[in-house]
Amino acid sequence: MIYFDNAATSWPKPPAVRAAMDEYFGEAGGNPGRSGHRMSVAAARIVERAREALADLFSANDPSRIVFTHNGTHALNLALQGLLRPGDHVLTTSMEHNSVMRPLRHFEGLGVEVTVVACTPDGRVDPEAVRRAVRHDTSLLVTTHASNVAGTLNPVADLAALAREAKIPYLLDASQTAGSIPIDVQALGVDLVAFTGHKGLLGPTGTGGLYIREGLALAPLMRGGTGSDSAHEIQPEFLPDAHESGTLNLAGIAGLGAAVRFVLEVGIEAVRAHKQKLIAQFLAGAFGISGLTLYGPRNAALQCDLASFTIDGAVPSEVGLILDQSFGIMARTGLHCAPSAHRTLGTFPTGTVRFSFGWFNTPAEVEKGLEALRQIAAWAATEATVPRQEAVETWTA
Amino acid sequence: MDGLISFFASHHAIRAEAVLKRNGLAAQLIPGPKDLSPNCGVALRFDYAMRENVLPLLAAKNVRFEGVHFYRPRTDDWNRFQAECR
Repeated sequence: MIYFDNAATSWPKPPAVRAAMDEYFGEAGGNPGRSGHRMSVAAARIVERAREALADLFSANDPSRIVFTHNGTHALNLALQGLLRPGDHVLTTSMEHNSVMRPLRHFEGLGVEVTVVACTPDGRVDPEAVRRAVRHDTSLLVTTHASNVAGTLNPVADLAALAREAKIPYLLDASQTAGSIPIDVQALGVDLVAFTGHKGLLGPTGTGGLYIREGLALAPLMRGGTGSDSAHEIQPEFLPDAHESGTLNLAGIAGLGAAVRFVLEVGIEAVRAHKQKLIAQFLAGAFGISGLTLYGPRNAALQCDLASFTIDGAVPSEVGLILDQSFGIMARTGLHCAPSAHRTLGTFPTGTVRFSFGWFNTPAEVEKGLEALRQIAAWAATEATVPRQEAVETWTA
Repeated sequence: MDGLISFFASHHAIRAEAVLKRNGLAAQLIPGPKDLSPNCGVALRFDYAMRENVLPLLAAKNVRFEGVHFYRPRTDDWNRFQAECR
């Protein structure tokens, strides 16, 4: 089996991740902050070690500015719902995932104005276009670091600089890049970074987090028990407790901590170099396949660890089915939860086939993927022998 | 299998597959063809001729579906093509 769906969730995970989760269940086992006995303290150590590893990875000098969430969507919602109020104006791009678009569309109904800056056909936002869209009442800029559809990397340093200049907080959606592309929150000067734990960071699902710059306060998404300040019925305002109500996903965070330490050990630059090499190899091979169309930058230096394509004569779901059943290759097909991104790329509504590579993929696997696509493209170019659809009738529920 | 049921979410697709199989009907989950429906990542192939039997079974189990389509994907001639190439 060849797994090319790492942008959906990475597979496999480093063995240390499973070991750390097993260790939590078998030994640590307690609930941090609640009890103070040795098992509670052991669990608290696991959580704080994971937080420190993340602070290391993102060059955040204070680990308390990183709060754990259940996933990237939860982190994005915490940031958006914690900041936006009726009358605010938000700037975003046409390449955003629904985890940004859907909350923003909801806020539009509550009196928040949203400006979607159009991206280039390869999925990149022009910082000058963003600058022109800034208004006196703009209160937030939110963009993805890399498109989950085309892999296009945004010029985040330029975006962060212009947001700083305009005194607008900048929320970076790093769902597709955390653990894959270096992110230095100090050097970037970014205000908020939302990330998920189970993609590039190689941790388990059900984990994620939000980096919140010092001095920026968010309203909590949930209020409740934190194991701290227990004499008071008012939600604590200090981080990370303000945003960590209710028992954390301790086994998940144990796994995430081990995963981040694995990434740190390998080195984020080495991870990026490996993935860039795989993407470059894939793009070079795919360029030579007749009938295959690539989307996005088509340049390994300008995209993260994924590439989207279509094949003439076959719809993406058909290509996906053959890849799975005849070649044992797992790929994502169709619309990737980002309708506006597909419109930008010209792949709406049928979508694309997406290959997304992980740390554990090899050049030999990429070559097998290319060979499969060569065969599928050759087949799809032939005349179909079964009439594709004689739509006799379609019933709709 | 020349029928296809599309769904609003994989929740319903997985449950529908179980309902059909439990009743001895052919069923195969496949990537949802976006040319038929933009909604669901996974759809269910079944025998179109059995549609009169299938739909009440789904209704009885409260499994929501989006649409029932006559569907012959190009992938059906993939195996024939592969055989000819060899």
